[in-house]
Amino acid sequence: MMTPNVIARAMLIAFGVFLVAVPWLIPLILNKFWVSLIAEIMIWSLFAASVNLLFGYVGLLSFGQALYFGFGMYGVAIGVATLGLSFWPAFGLGIFASIAIALVSGIFAVRLTWHYFAIITVVFSLIFYFFAVSVKSLTGGDDGINFALPPIFSIGGVTGSFSDADFQYFFILATVALCFFLMHRVIQSPLGKAFVAIRDNDVRAALIGLNVYQLRLIAFVMAGFLAGVAGALFAFFGRYASASYMFYHVSGEAVVWAIVGGAGTLFGPIVGTTLFIVIRELVSTHWEHHALIVGVMAILVVILAPKGLVGLWNEGLVRWGARAKDASPRTKTKLQTDP
Amino acid sequence: MTEPALRTENLTKTFGGLTAVDNLNLSIPSGRLHAIIGPNGAGKTTFFNLVSGLLAADSGRVFFRGRDITGLKPHKVSRLGIKRTMQIKSVFPQLSVAENLWVTRYAANRFLHPFRAASGDLETRERVEKTLEQVGLTTLAQRPAGTLSYGDVALLEIGMALISDPQLLLLDEPTCGMSPAETERAVAKIKQLARTIDIIIIEHDMSVVFEIADHITVMAQGGILASGDSDEISGDERVREAYLGRPEDEDYVEEAIHA
Repeated sequence: MMTPNVIARAMLIAFGVFLVAVPWLIPLILNKFWVSLIAEIMIWSLFAASVNLLFGYVGLLSFGQALYFGFGMYGVAIGVATLGLSFWPAFGLGIFASIAIALVSGIFAVRLTWHYFAIITVVFSLIFYFFAVSVKSLTGGDDGINFALPPIFSIGGVTGSFSDADFQYFFILATVALCFFLMHRVIQSPLGKAFVAIRDNDVRAALIGLNVYQLRLIAFVMAGFLAGVAGALFAFFGRYASASYMFYHVSGEAVVWAIVGGAGTLFGPIVGTTLFIVIRELVSTHWEHHALIVGVMAILVVILAPKGLVGLWNEGLVRWGARAKDASPRTKTKLQTDP
Repeated sequence: MTEPALRTENLTKTFGGLTAVDNLNLSIPSGRLHAIIGPNGAGKTTFFNLVSGLLAADSGRVFFRGRDITGLKPHKVSRLGIKRTMQIKSVFPQLSVAENLWVTRYAANRFLHPFRAASGDLETRERVEKTLEQVGLTTLAQRPAGTLSYGDVALLEIGMALISDPQLLLLDEPTCGMSPAETERAVAKIKQLARTIDIIIIEHDMSVVFEIADHITVMAQGGILASGDSDEISGDERVREAYLGRPEDEDYVEEAIHA
């Protein structure tokens, strides 16, 4: 039986198989560059997922997620270049730094909602952006920090490192997939249901006994974690960290990706991010105003499909499933009444 | 039980120049269904907001079974067992009916498990099914709450109050917007609940009030105008003039209610 659930599961498996096959498949069809582009898309999808967790599931629109992305990047770069850490401690430092700053800024930010929340998240990220630009000795300012890649592991003669493109791809794939799996578990858990309840109606949520402030703070720190992992991966991927990735323009892009893809759906950020990065790659070499396409598409989706592209697809599946269900008993009754 | 279910001491709340609740001293004994009536603007809903923690009082205190709950946050008040429904129906529109009940039941837990699947909790699921039957929403269990009719939302609100095992239930115009049949069902439900739970109800529908309330407090301009059982209230001359109006003058009633 082709029910919507079966279709969704089949698509998920096909998507997984495709991602695993990319390092062999893509060079045959396109070229090596696209393998690393897909790795980059996965990192940015994880970053967009951080916006999605806050906006799509808790109802807080953050325009400052780049701050936690940037802390993840700098944690890694400073860890490797300045402190001389190896791969895993530097990775851990990046994630820890973004969680810590998310906790500190979250304590203030989640007291507010709606535009006040959006504004304070922008303000926080601007403060740290200018701080990062001005403290050149620590952050390298506008130039950023370049560093040499440490190996991830070394057993016997075999070393795994990001300098091997395939290894880099699979490491990013595994890390991003793990984060999406964790997010999926959270959304399905009691905690996730409480998040959605707060998004839907925060007054009512408090009246049934949910500690709205505390739950928003938990979500904020979780989102900081997702952005931090993305930032740490991106630092290893690009072998550098730069303050420019902490600018609110980066945050804003993630908001557009998440909303166009489908806020409040697990895969929305992946769809949105993929769409816009692929468009950018294809169009920007021929036409410098590719941002226009992005703008027009964002406006169209927000007006025509408020739940984003994935929301549109899900609705279509549900409608199709309902029609299929309606159709089958009708044929049966026909058979009975018409012997 | 000698301790009243709910007691207020000189409770006052002003909005700018308007005194919504004015030096209110109310003692509501346990074990009786208590109704609060009064014209619009009398301070009834503000009183509920003060008790449930949505608003902070300017002065005065609130006691729940002798325990001072003044100034507690809404979720803390809720966890003590004081649950309420809202005058303007208020549920989680994008969650299904069953999920609304589910999350309400679960909200009382201090720890919300971040990774275990919510649907795996058998005990809560059974309780949700039972509550769905009790309020008659079983067939609508999977519908998003935002797509329900107004009367069904009101029933869902009662279900949400039920499933949280309240000790004191504050119902703010529970039958508002219901059809006569739905009202009848809701009234029967409330009467049945009142046997085990302390209930305070704000209601505009006088036939409902006189049918279910053991005790009635009439509020006007933030204070208590009168207090007594239904016979005393319907016989009270001040109440008749201030609120119920003269029966022969229907326009006057309209004016008093919409004042």
